[in-house]
Amino acid sequence: MSSGEDRTVNKLVHDARSPLNRISMNAELIKLILENDMPKEKGIQAIDKIISACQECSHTLQILSAQYGDK
Amino acid sequence: MLNVLLVDDDTEFTEVASNIIEFLGHDVSVAANLKEAYEWLDSQPFEHILLDFMLPDGSGLHLVDHLKQLGSTAHVTFITGHPAVKGILAEISGPKMDYLVKPLQREDIEGALSSKPKVKKVAKTSAIKRHFGCLIGESAPMQALYLMIERVAKTSANIMLMGGSGVGKEVVASAIHKASQVHGELVTTNCGALSKELIGSELFGHEKGAFTGAVAKKEGVFERAENGTLFLDEVTEMPIDMQPNLLRVLESRKVIKVGGTKEIPVNCRVVSATNRTMESIAQDNVLREDVYFRLAVFPITIPSLRERKEDIPLLAKAFLEELNIENDCQYVWTDAQLQKLSHFDWPGNVRELRHSVHRAFIMSDPSSKEVQLPSTFESPFSLSKKPNNNVSAGQTIENVEKELIRITLEKVDGNKTLAAEMLGISTKTLYNRLHTYGDFAV
Repeated sequence: MSSGEDRTVNKLVHDARSPLNRISMNAELIKLILENDMPKEKGIQAIDKIISACQECSHTLQILSAQYGDK
Repeated sequence: MLNVLLVDDDTEFTEVASNIIEFLGHDVSVAANLKEAYEWLDSQPFEHILLDFMLPDGSGLHLVDHLKQLGSTAHVTFITGHPAVKGILAEISGPKMDYLVKPLQREDIEGALSSKPKVKKVAKTSAIKRHFGCLIGESAPMQALYLMIERVAKTSANIMLMGGSGVGKEVVASAIHKASQVHGELVTTNCGALSKELIGSELFGHEKGAFTGAVAKKEGVFERAENGTLFLDEVTEMPIDMQPNLLRVLESRKVIKVGGTKEIPVNCRVVSATNRTMESIAQDNVLREDVYFRLAVFPITIPSLRERKEDIPLLAKAFLEELNIENDCQYVWTDAQLQKLSHFDWPGNVRELRHSVHRAFIMSDPSSKEVQLPSTFESPFSLSKKPNNNVSAGQTIENVEKELIRITLEKVDGNKTLAAEMLGISTKTLYNRLHTYGDFAV
């Protein structure tokens, strides 16, 4: 893999980690909401954000697969 | 509880992360770029900064430089999702800097925020007594100060500390806090460093959405110091038009957050400090009279180092001991060096002495045990007073020499060996001169 390709892969990994980070943090928040009997609306909002972040992550992985899948 | 600054351009992440950080019992402020982060840092002190490495207007390392310029001791935790950056961060990490890699978990944040600074070994091993765990000195003015602290600590009276720059007002505030044996924390804020716009938020807290950038509810320093001590440094530098708000809290013992309506009861002792004199406070209209009387129920004037010269050797030994332990060295003072330190005026007080000891420590030869004292201790801010030699044309060399020997001997309390050293002549020559001029008593 050339250094240019290396940089592109690193960028895509970074782009995939951002939604993964949001998924992880929102999951932690839901855990706290459930542990502390907090309003379920806040939990539902966090779940919606997880679903949206999953889509974003999937999109980045598709780009990665399309560019480097056959190599 | 820590005051945390979260700097990241991923707003969805900062929203959820600030919720979690607040759940963990900390105060959090959010910045989406370096510019916003600088604004926060200029307005209030932070104990911990969670910092994205790559920001829209620069690198997180720029912010680290800015912290150094501000003299901030905040712990920095870099957050990165970039695999290439991980290696760089691992190299620059140290006791005040670490890093986390995305995706984060609650435990990661909890762990980063609970990392304690290295505990100094000094207190355990030192033979020098530290009164109330922090104050050094056995002179009469310090004994009087200890007595005042001991007495006032038993009450809940507000205290105003006065004294020149570098006398150790913050250390005395810490001593009062310790002597009070209260359950709450000692919370410090510098009234001179806060902008007019943010001082209300710093002192009384704000509600979420109270103003641009107020993304989360924030506790003010009065609330943070609940059942403890609030130290308001440079209180006379607080804008005069903000002082009625402070007066209201001091009188009612209740705060209303910026953007809020609910009165929150507060309970803390307020220790304030100023390096202005009583005359300056009265004449310069820097503090309202009613605020002064609320703050200075018990005023304490901290003695300058000039007024307690006998403590200089003890302080010098304590500072050198700290540096020896920190750097694993074994330097010692000679008696002549301690005398030389004692004879300087130290207009910059204990802070200047500490600085000079540190400088001498750095300059010392690692192969020797002796500290390398500079020939003068002058700094741009604190020049020693120039002696009035009264030298003028028409005087004989003999008269000038005689006068120089006289004032030198006076300076060293008649110690001829030390005087000869200062004059750059042998003791024998000094005795010869004194014999010639007719020995004069000092």
